[in-house]
Amino acid sequence: MTWLTTVFHKNRRIVSFGLAAVLFLLILLSPGNVRPFLGNAAMMVFYYPFAELKDSITRMQNVAEDNRRLKNLLAEAALQISALAEVRRENQRLKEFLGFEAPENFQVIPVRIVYLGHDRYPVSAVINKGAADSIDVNQPVINQYGLIGKIREVMADHATVQLLTDPSNAISARIAESRQIGIVRYVPGEGMILDNLPADAFINKGDQVISSGLGGIYPSGLTIGIVDSVLTVKGSIKKSVWLKPYVDFLKIEELYVLRSALE
Amino acid sequence: MKILPYILYLFLFTFFATIISDMVSIFGTMVDLLIIIVVMVGFYKSETEAVWFGVVSGIVAGATHLSLMPWEIFILTLIILVVNQIGGRINLESVVSKIFILGCCTIVHGVVITLAISPNEFFFMLVRYILPGTAYTLVIGSIIFFVKDGYITWTKIKALF
Repeated sequence: MTWLTTVFHKNRRIVSFGLAAVLFLLILLSPGNVRPFLGNAAMMVFYYPFAELKDSITRMQNVAEDNRRLKNLLAEAALQISALAEVRRENQRLKEFLGFEAPENFQVIPVRIVYLGHDRYPVSAVINKGAADSIDVNQPVINQYGLIGKIREVMADHATVQLLTDPSNAISARIAESRQIGIVRYVPGEGMILDNLPADAFINKGDQVISSGLGGIYPSGLTIGIVDSVLTVKGSIKKSVWLKPYVDFLKIEELYVLRSALE
Repeated sequence: MKILPYILYLFLFTFFATIISDMVSIFGTMVDLLIIIVVMVGFYKSETEAVWFGVVSGIVAGATHLSLMPWEIFILTLIILVVNQIGGRINLESVVSKIFILGCCTIVHGVVITLAISPNEFFFMLVRYILPGTAYTLVIGSIIFFVKDGYITWTKIKALF
């Protein structure tokens, strides 16, 4: 044994080269046994951990990609849902309007607001139809709840509506129950008022206020609001009432222009 | 003979071949990191260690393509032995000489393996993959040699900025 160790140490280079050559010949001459064994061992030890790592990275990248795609889909779905909700609300408003009957001798032209001009409270609105759609100055404008105002200016494709909330817009109105006639106007910062009523007019809270039909612009019977409170000044010959309008002017969207059938 | 560094070299090669290689390939041209490692081992290690590293790296390189295993063992052992002999007999002060030898080894490795796999498409493979791959390997190998021989240091890089 000592002899063998001595030979090995003395001829280490030749023995090492010889062993390498034998291994090479074994691999070369036995493709069915040694080569697959060494190949599998090398794969298991050197490649498999990194192949697993790469597989994990690929899976994580796929998950991240799926996540990104699903987020996009979710955003699209949320957008569609909000659009559908908006359509549903519009549908609801239009359904409410179905019960509305246009005053006699008037045609209804549906329009949509494209701009609502206001600082604290809207006083005018721009609608998406104009002279090309038979819109004309002073035509009354309503929605499903009641009177909105009148057309003030007309362009080819657009028109401006002067709302009831414009302080310069005063209309003749009457109490539906007592038939007393007064003037409806808007007082900035205070609200809508019906004044010029006789001091002895019999008015109750909750009475309905409608257009009187006088003045030649608005047909009679268009709802404006209800009496909220009665203002009586001692010794005055006139009486005023505060109104609660049917229309919320901050929420108006679809409007209807009344066009005289005689035009 | 400490075998741990050699095992780490082989892990470095398989990590590069499995994960990094595809990421850093340029239009299919890849770095032959195994040749860089083999040449460096040939330059800086003893003859016996170099020969055994050549054999084992040939087995690892041929594990993915068993019919190529003898070719890989043969050419890598031959390359490492030749580089070791050149490194031992010639005083390689110049980094350019080492880079030149690395280039020759890369081409020889590429040519032998290509001839073993697809001799009919040799010229196409030579122009499309072997020569561009050699150039790419030389760029990476040069950086490694410059760092190893102290031409590129962290202090010098910091001084640039």
